[in-house]
Amino acid sequence: MKNYDHSFHAFIQGIILIGFAMLILSLVLTGNIVYYIAPTMMPFIYFALVTFFILGIVQVFRSTKDDEEDSSCGCEHDHQISGPSWLKLIIYGIFILPVLFGFTLPDRSLDSSVAANRGIQFGGGSNPQAAEGNVNSASEAESGNTARAEAYLDDPDGYLDSIGASSEEEEEHYTMEEIYDEEWFDDYYQELAEEMLEKDTVIVTDENYLDMMTVLDLYLDEFIGKEIEITGFAYREPGFDPDQIVAARFAMTCCTADASVYGTMIEAADSANVEDDTWMVAWGTIEKGHYKDQQIPVVTEAHIEEIDEPESPYVYPNF
Amino acid sequence: MSTSTGKVFGKDLLGLGLLFLFLILFLFSDQVSTSERMESIPNAWINVNTIFLSIVIEAIPFILLGVFVSALIQIYVSEDTIQRFLPKNAYAALFPAALLGAILPLCECAIVPVVRRLIKKGMPLHTGIVFLVAAPILNPVVFASTYFAFRNNPTILYSRMGLAFVLSIIIGAILYSIFRKKPDQLRNKANVSLASHHVHIEEDQSQKRSGKPGFLARVRDTVYHASDEFFMMGKYLILGAFVAALFQTFLDRSLLETIGTNTYTSTFVMMVFAYLLSLCSEADAFVAASFGSQFTDASLTGFLVYGPMLDLKNTFMLFAFFKARFVIAFMITVTFIVYFSVIILYGLIL
Repeated sequence: MKNYDHSFHAFIQGIILIGFAMLILSLVLTGNIVYYIAPTMMPFIYFALVTFFILGIVQVFRSTKDDEEDSSCGCEHDHQISGPSWLKLIIYGIFILPVLFGFTLPDRSLDSSVAANRGIQFGGGSNPQAAEGNVNSASEAESGNTARAEAYLDDPDGYLDSIGASSEEEEEHYTMEEIYDEEWFDDYYQELAEEMLEKDTVIVTDENYLDMMTVLDLYLDEFIGKEIEITGFAYREPGFDPDQIVAARFAMTCCTADASVYGTMIEAADSANVEDDTWMVAWGTIEKGHYKDQQIPVVTEAHIEEIDEPESPYVYPNF
Repeated sequence: MSTSTGKVFGKDLLGLGLLFLFLILFLFSDQVSTSERMESIPNAWINVNTIFLSIVIEAIPFILLGVFVSALIQIYVSEDTIQRFLPKNAYAALFPAALLGAILPLCECAIVPVVRRLIKKGMPLHTGIVFLVAAPILNPVVFASTYFAFRNNPTILYSRMGLAFVLSIIIGAILYSIFRKKPDQLRNKANVSLASHHVHIEEDQSQKRSGKPGFLARVRDTVYHASDEFFMMGKYLILGAFVAALFQTFLDRSLLETIGTNTYTSTFVMMVFAYLLSLCSEADAFVAASFGSQFTDASLTGFLVYGPMLDLKNTFMLFAFFKARFVIAFMITVTFIVYFSVIILYGLIL
């Protein structure tokens, strides 16, 4: 330990910790943290912010002490950054770079190129009926899915009522509790659907976005002909008709890495003027359409208006 | 310290310069990041940066939590305590280790420093491994998020939790039988080229220590430990997050869908995918749910069981703390066991 300069390393480490704290503080103050972290995770971020400041300040004070060896713990040698100086430089570089990137590179939400790579979901991908097909094996999904969808289309309420009973027979591992939960789950969407159907125009907001996607998927038949207002960024896939465009949103659970893409197909005469990634509001009439053999809601005869990016570019699940 | 005054001055200046740079950036971050030069950076790289920073910023609080738990263990838990609570029989110790994993709510970022510390404190290697693979899945937060993401399909929730419990014990038993003769698989001073620590000699410490340290000294030690460990863990986290961000940005997920329907290949592909994405175990259920109906339950379960046990960012950390041969044996064991268990579970039982 003779040549290990404790005070230098403690000093640099302290500065780096303070740097991380300043980056997080800056993101929180400017509100740009929404591009990285979901609001539900914010308590953890505040914890990290405070901890970094404390650790950083303690580290800087530690560096002013000449002798490390009097530490009662006696295990400082456990943590030395060792190796030649170029290696130390690289190691500290690894810590400094994210802070520099964070400060210098523009904070932006993910764009349509990421959406294209992740694959867009038309409608609520995780709702019971759409995902019914993956309850058991893929082979069952193919035969079972269409039959169920048809049963549902013929008699939505009756089909929903029968779900509790049939799943009890089919899936022996369902317990009573889960069936109750499923009913609660359906009730929630049914109530939201009824509430929306009473309105003249269905307005899809940031807050109800994911729920509305699911509702439109579940109760599409009842919504046909309704007026709708929906916000999203413009996204296109190869093979779209010239008047077709998608209003897309990234939905985030914890952080941007887990963001998935939802979208609603819009058919508007003036859509060709809208560039990809432009934020827009679309008003139109809900119709039933098809895309890649999938039944999806389509907003037809739409009028599109370009807008500034909303304050919260991402949408979040409601729990 | 036999460094000359000039050198010390130079080093201080380096630190102060860094602080000054951070301050300038803090104050003028808006101007810098909206400047033309920064705006002209290709969007793809901005996306990489966004995902990279989001993984780092999201993982940091949990790394810090893990590091604090590890520091508390270092200072408050003695080797005797660990010896007293674990059954003497190696196989009998596997079960309580899995239960312990279920009680402590630590995710896969936080668990690595804790397990390393426990092993250094004398917990047998295989018991630590059970803990390492069980804790990130068997915890209340992960249970809740998987429940919400797969409300319509509780099979996934129960197979995820059940497999995590059983497989962690099997994995621990297999690694025990392989490394029974060589229980010391932590990296030590002999190969410090990458890692930055060596074996902790507890005896020295207790001899040096004259009487019990006071409360303040303990708090100070906890804080010192926490920042030291943050610097040890952090570099691997940051490297792992960067590679994961590259895959997140550039990997076209529709490639997966072309392989999606066959149970054997899709389970394997989804496990590889879980490895590359390096998602937090609290959020991965929602990502799995977003793959929707193109994928079989077996492949989604593979994704949800394998990812928290092993992924790109914690591989970096494992190689830092354990000997390479052990990490490779661990990775092979986990991969085989998870793959075949998922296939067997869905092929024969469900």
